[in-house]
Amino acid sequence: MKALCWMGSGKVEVHTVSDPTLLNPHDAIIKITRTAICGSDLHLFDGFIPTMEEGDILGHEFMGIVEEVGKEVNNLQRGDRVVVPFTIACGKCEFCRKKIWSACDNTNPNAHLMEAVYGYSGSGLFGYSHMMGGYAGGQAQYVRVPFANVGPLKIESDLPDEKVLFLSDIFPTGFMAAENAHIQENDIVAVWGCGPVGQFAIASAFILGAARVVAIDRLPERLGMARSIGAVTVDYSEEGMSVLTALKDLTGGIGPDSCIDAVGLEAHSAQLQGMYDKVKTTLMLGTDRASVLRQAIQAVRKGGTVSIPGVYGGLLDKVPFGAAFGKGITMKMGQTNMHTYMKPLLGRIEKGQIDPTYIISHRISLEDAPEMYKVWRDKEQKVTKIVIDPWAA
Amino acid sequence: MSEALKKSNAEPVPTVGTVGTIVDGHYAPPPEDKHGKIWVRTSALIHADARDLYEMWRDVEKIPLWQEQIVSVTRTGKTISHWVMRSGDDGNSIEWDSEILTDEPGRRIAWRSVGGESDNAGEVVFEPSPGGRATMVTVLQEFRMGKLTSLCESIIGRNPKQAVIENLRHFKALAETGEIPRTQGQPHGPRGRIAGMKESAYGEKITTPPGLNRKAS
Repeated sequence: MKALCWMGSGKVEVHTVSDPTLLNPHDAIIKITRTAICGSDLHLFDGFIPTMEEGDILGHEFMGIVEEVGKEVNNLQRGDRVVVPFTIACGKCEFCRKKIWSACDNTNPNAHLMEAVYGYSGSGLFGYSHMMGGYAGGQAQYVRVPFANVGPLKIESDLPDEKVLFLSDIFPTGFMAAENAHIQENDIVAVWGCGPVGQFAIASAFILGAARVVAIDRLPERLGMARSIGAVTVDYSEEGMSVLTALKDLTGGIGPDSCIDAVGLEAHSAQLQGMYDKVKTTLMLGTDRASVLRQAIQAVRKGGTVSIPGVYGGLLDKVPFGAAFGKGITMKMGQTNMHTYMKPLLGRIEKGQIDPTYIISHRISLEDAPEMYKVWRDKEQKVTKIVIDPWAA
Repeated sequence: MSEALKKSNAEPVPTVGTVGTIVDGHYAPPPEDKHGKIWVRTSALIHADARDLYEMWRDVEKIPLWQEQIVSVTRTGKTISHWVMRSGDDGNSIEWDSEILTDEPGRRIAWRSVGGESDNAGEVVFEPSPGGRATMVTVLQEFRMGKLTSLCESIIGRNPKQAVIENLRHFKALAETGEIPRTQGQPHGPRGRIAGMKESAYGEKITTPPGLNRKAS
């Protein structure tokens, strides 16, 4: 089959590799019909996530048709159409029982690598470094899905692939971000980053009762998209712009009830601290650029909540913990507990409450993917979401 | 003071805890490595019945299905078994006999090696976790530095302490889910020399044990 492989920092290539086979009794093989590039794939592309190996197949947002199932998979059969969550969960351990699926104890074959850095290991993820399990990803024509008895969501309606594809990661991730933000009826919510997760966080904040959502980014097409679903937008890169002042002006001086950091570790900043973070990460004195998180902690109202769906991988410098303590804020974060959200969100799509396809800007073949990673990273074109048909010529 | 303290869910503190974890109500760290002896203590919270877990551990001939690098375990007596362990990629192996010293069904097994090329002793305890939510399995294992330990470190890239931790992890995954998570055998693009070095460093060249239910389809 053809698959997109990580071949080093800044280098991805399409290679012909062997087809996946069943390796365990709860496995399934899926023929992929649609897959997507995630903003977090850019962190891998840029070499921000350690423990990648040359030849790793990328991709954790995918769906397709069940080709073959292991002997212990009783809920699926050949021909079923499924969306696969990017986190792999066993369904049996202490954490799955608590529905903290992304913390599953039994799906990361390299758990010791994550324990060494984080104390404990989370679940295995598709196509997202060896610390996270080293599982081959889904920017390919076929994929092996472990614990297929637990993860994949069957699509029984005739909704097109594109409408349900984002149930594999970014829609649930945006929704959990809004839920983690403890949004109450009529709250004011600020969202940093108007990429796909930010877009779904904005939409979800409205669904959960927000009266106003303020969306912060610098790319006009993304800000326009945020306005199109009802947010008020702030361009942090405008001359003389202070995001903190803007958020005070828009909230009668008290700050947003909830702040959502949908940017994560590769934040850009127009200010001096942005340069400082860039130098530090380049010299490997810090691993993550924290400018959005700092701003969110400072901006949130007293007793408010900061929710972090943006990915962080390592060490953060100059996080204003005094401000966090002084205001008595709550912070909530983590990989998405996919299995909790997929089915209810499919229900919302089926009822027509949201059409997730509005974020798609590019539809490409696998062969075009290496070029598009560069285009997206360098913001050469107006990219919001790239969907791949792995069978297109 | 403590009489008045309301402790609606508190359980009595054990006087002697699992393999020396709690002694007279006080936490005791694992024994220190010294005089050529190394120790490892590790525990896992497993959602399975203590008796079933005991049976799975006690079924010595099936141990190669969940312990790394073990080629075979053969019962040679009521409490004695013969162990063969792989020692690298070149087909070499080391062998020893192991004797079960204590066997408390559903609760505890203790063993030691008797002759052969490994000098080790160990103990595993199965008990309800505080609050009774699952079974806490604690392993205490001791090795004397020798052929086994130096082989482990130099050839297979997994030090013996980590091997004990990984074996308990495999045991837990198998007991809870019926399989051991694996990626060996999945497709990938061309691996360079650096990827090969990373695979060794990450312990990915050690064969994942097959599990009881190996056949996938």
